Amino acid sequence: MVAGPLALIAEITHRCPLHCVYCSNPLQMASVSSELETEEWTGVFRQAAELGVLHLHLTGGEPLAREDLTEMVKSAHFAGLYTNLITSGLGLTHTRLKALVDAGLDHIQLSFQDSRETAANWIAGTRAHALKVELAPMIRRAGVAFTVNMVVHRQNLDHLEEMIAFAEALQPQRLEIAHAQYYGWALKNRDALIPTRAQLENSVRVVAAAQKRLEGRIRIDAVVPDYYARFPKACMGGWGQRLILIHPSGKALPCHAAEVIPGLCFENVRDRPLQWIWQESDSFQKFRGEAWMPEPCRSCDRRAQDFGGCRCQALLLTGNAAATDPVCSLAPQHFLIEEVLARVNANGAGGSAVQDAALPAEDFWAYRPQPR
Amino acid sequence: MPQPEESSLPRLAAGCRWTGEGEQRTLLFPEGALRLQGTGREILERCDGRHTVLQIVQELQGTFNEADPGKIRSDIFIFIERLRQKGVVSF
Repeated sequence: MVAGPLALIAEITHRCPLHCVYCSNPLQMASVSSELETEEWTGVFRQAAELGVLHLHLTGGEPLAREDLTEMVKSAHFAGLYTNLITSGLGLTHTRLKALVDAGLDHIQLSFQDSRETAANWIAGTRAHALKVELAPMIRRAGVAFTVNMVVHRQNLDHLEEMIAFAEALQPQRLEIAHAQYYGWALKNRDALIPTRAQLENSVRVVAAAQKRLEGRIRIDAVVPDYYARFPKACMGGWGQRLILIHPSGKALPCHAAEVIPGLCFENVRDRPLQWIWQESDSFQKFRGEAWMPEPCRSCDRRAQDFGGCRCQALLLTGNAAATDPVCSLAPQHFLIEEVLARVNANGAGGSAVQDAALPAEDFWAYRPQPR
Repeated sequence: MPQPEESSLPRLAAGCRWTGEGEQRTLLFPEGALRLQGTGREILERCDGRHTVLQIVQELQGTFNEADPGKIRSDIFIFIERLRQKGVVSF
């Protein structure tokens, strides 16, 4: 019997007032009419807690776009889950925040696109930055854990120190500095997001220095871009091992991007109990364990550490979801990554456009639209 | 950063809370969980904003009266400082 998941990621809607160019939502977004009802989410949370889930991450889209969010938090808390709201902040008011905290919300993770307003709004495709800045003190006083999340990439890495100083002034307990991951919209915009090698190396130094300086005050967790790593990331802690993601329409996925994998049928919580989906469904068993692994993974010493990397990334880059993740330096198709990196690092290829006097026009990016 | 002192009142940091009972008793916090047994749990259970570090030391010296009281004291100071570094306890 496989152990239950530890965390549930609930994408409760794909609606979002922001249009971030690195959004991890799929290119095909869930329509509003397909979204699960409040009671259906309540059932999912109860089943998740029974399966052993400890943490619930409410995300989207923008979860605040759901008017029944407080009710959902209440039911998750009642089920015993530790509840985290991953939000842009848009739609949060003092009254709503108080209701969420009273309902049992434990943690708020507020995202910022940049430290500079114009650049932040350029990435988000909307004027959101100033509102977010206003929210931080309110969240800090609300008695919940407070994390600031900043996605970093080629366009903002040249002023990472300034971004960390900006985040520090917001006084969170925790700061996440996450390099964009190239799925969904970020893959569409990949070549403008991938940092140069020099930027990456500098960012590692800057983060290490900040971690030391802020030790005991703000914990900094950093996510590095796997394109530059020697070995792949242990995506989701292994397929069907630790996490389960529920799509707005109720489809259960082992990973954010799993829908891109052809030939897999993802079961819906409307039709099947969560426990059955986790333990029995074909989609969760497909890449669980080691039986599916090709060489060089199958005989690799690291196979129980990184599980062959990310299945969705393998599919997106090689066309085969069962291939070794090409970011791995041992992968037969690692040349695909080397080609991208060669292009990004060619002839002193420019760094950040944010340093320039004028930002490139909006058609520089493919912005994430609103779902129907 | 101040180290814990005898008069410090350690408490769980915002967003950290207990769940479950008995062996299942678990401390939950952002992106993590701790299931502690033995003295670790005895200490953390007393990080409630009402016990000073000195009171925690004295209570544990009383409970574990066969162990070296000096070692209990230094272990508690180290453990509480570690929990603070982890963002689980503040004082």
